[in-house]
Amino acid sequence: MNTVSAYHNMTTETHRRSAIEIARNRLMIGVVLFCFAFLIMIGRTIELGVSAPKPRVTATRQVVTVPEVQIARADIVDRNGEILATNLETASLYAVPKDIKDPQEAARQLVSILPELSYADVEAKLSSGKKFVWLKRKLTPRQKWEVNAIGEPAFQFEREEERIYPHGRLAAHVLGYVDVDGNGLGGVEHFFDAKLGDKSRTSEQLQLSLDIRVQYALADELQAAMRAYQAIGGAGLVMDVSTGEVIAMVSLPDYDPNNVRGVADTEKFNRATKGVYELGSTFKTFTFANALDDGVVSMEDGYDATKPLRISRFLIRDDHPKERYLTVPEIFTFSSNIGTAQMALDIGTERQQEFLGELGLLQPANVELTEVGAPLVPPVWRKSSTMTISYGHGLAVSPLQLASGISAMVNGGRLMTPTLVHNPENWQTGKQVIAPDTSRKIRQLLRMAVTKGTGGRADAVGYRVGGKTGTAEKAIAGGYARKKLISSFMGVFPMDDPQYAVFALLDEPKGTKETFGYRSGGWVAAPVVRNVILRSAPLLGVSPKQEDAGLYQDVALLIEDKKKK
Amino acid sequence: MRKTLTIFAAATAIASGAAVLQLKITVQNKVDNVKEIARQIKQDREAIRVLEAEWAYLTTPQVLQDRSIRFLALMPPRAKQIIADPSLIPFRPKGLEVEAGEGVLLPAAQKELKSSKEKKSKQTEGQTL
Repeated sequence: MNTVSAYHNMTTETHRRSAIEIARNRLMIGVVLFCFAFLIMIGRTIELGVSAPKPRVTATRQVVTVPEVQIARADIVDRNGEILATNLETASLYAVPKDIKDPQEAARQLVSILPELSYADVEAKLSSGKKFVWLKRKLTPRQKWEVNAIGEPAFQFEREEERIYPHGRLAAHVLGYVDVDGNGLGGVEHFFDAKLGDKSRTSEQLQLSLDIRVQYALADELQAAMRAYQAIGGAGLVMDVSTGEVIAMVSLPDYDPNNVRGVADTEKFNRATKGVYELGSTFKTFTFANALDDGVVSMEDGYDATKPLRISRFLIRDDHPKERYLTVPEIFTFSSNIGTAQMALDIGTERQQEFLGELGLLQPANVELTEVGAPLVPPVWRKSSTMTISYGHGLAVSPLQLASGISAMVNGGRLMTPTLVHNPENWQTGKQVIAPDTSRKIRQLLRMAVTKGTGGRADAVGYRVGGKTGTAEKAIAGGYARKKLISSFMGVFPMDDPQYAVFALLDEPKGTKETFGYRSGGWVAAPVVRNVILRSAPLLGVSPKQEDAGLYQDVALLIEDKKKK
Repeated sequence: MRKTLTIFAAATAIASGAAVLQLKITVQNKVDNVKEIARQIKQDREAIRVLEAEWAYLTTPQVLQDRSIRFLALMPPRAKQIIADPSLIPFRPKGLEVEAGEGVLLPAAQKELKSSKEKKSKQTEGQTL
């Protein structure tokens, strides 16, 4: 029993031991696993403690944005949003000559598509064996298609942008032009070059104050007059007198900004801003405004204009001599140089200088163009200068300066900085230069000059046009050329509430049979202004109406009309 | 019991996995679709730019004038032909006469006209009294 029990004991002993061992081994697996898990947790804890907190990862909404249309240069539009300049994608053709098997054949085919290229030149380029050679920049889509149709893999295209002016010559001088790399070289393209070319702002359009329809009416009429009177040049302006915005600006001869290669400098020259001219009698408006505003004369006064005036070496004559005593309205209406010169003497040299300075006629015009001409001011302002400047000789200013000055004379006396950018708030730049009351008198005088005086051919029926003719002999070295005239007309309408000023200038017009050989402003430039007003007034929202004759009655009575005699 | 639970779990897992996959594919398709549309919009915008330039080119005043002279017998209007005040046109339909009231808004000009008429009628009444 003892042995049995011992044996039994022993077996149970070994059994128990092995069971414990097994249990322990199993336990060890658990411990190792736990230890491992804890190690991971410790490691993770340390990692979290050490590392910066990571943002929570959540499912992000996939936002798809429409890619912006990439353009290298912002568009230019007119006041109604009509496109004046835009960038379009084009292709430029280059070749990889080393890949070309048959340069002669390829050159022949290419020249048949692009006739402006010379065969010899293309052939030389293609057989040069280089890796890259430009053939032609800026192909039309059709040309690109045809070149592709040749099927020559060595011809390749590079995407480029081209500046397009859809209206061609229209407003060329305002817009300017760009070089082949898209840098603005003239007009507003040059003035606003940094803004237009700013990569981050190309979606912002530059809105000009121009109205392309009025621009065309002016350009068309001026062109027709230039042809009819064989003038060597012309300039025209339409300006909003209450804001100083330029609605149209024309300079002839002009050019096509789409293709400026070979354009002569005379064509690029902007006569409306860079050209300075002695503008003749239109200047009398300023002299009269000055005299009336200072109280030097009143409407009822007058001057003796029986004989030409002699001052140093000048002889001041009248183009339309009346040879009698003239009242102030008569001097203006019949455009008497003698009367105006005497009035200027009464104003005095210093005051005249100050007044013209206030109107900005002695400094270059401040406008958004770099092509701005500086006025030609007499070096010494003598008594004779005072007298000649009073009727527009001896001081040369640009048409733009004249237009903004005249605008101030009629709009109630506020001189606005002229602007080419659409900005209805531009009137805030204005400063009062003459009293509103004086401005009213000037309106009456301007209207009388059209109804009774030299500007009769500018009277657009229904639109109450007022204005002043200007005829000046061209200054040449050592005096004036009697045969070469600058004929102009400065019109404003409607005169009872002036809204727009229209200016037309012809350089060296020649008389025709229709004008009986006359080529003064009243004959050649005034009809241009009338036609422009007739064409553009409906577009500008000025309605024709019956004139209130009472407005001008007082002044009209002071004018003794020769027709009545 | 146990077996059914396992099968149920497995089936659910597979089904939900398939559903998620399906969803992902659908979303991917939609995203591709939207991207395609965005690309199309960009292309259209580029085309619109070209067309706008072309429109400006084709409707430049010079061209319109030439076309008008060739195909239309129209002349520039004379001052006499322009009427500044449309109410002068005889037999011009004036639209429905509506009284201003709650919920009926009239243009300011019409309202003024009405009130001035009322005033006048009141004044005349006063005079007769």
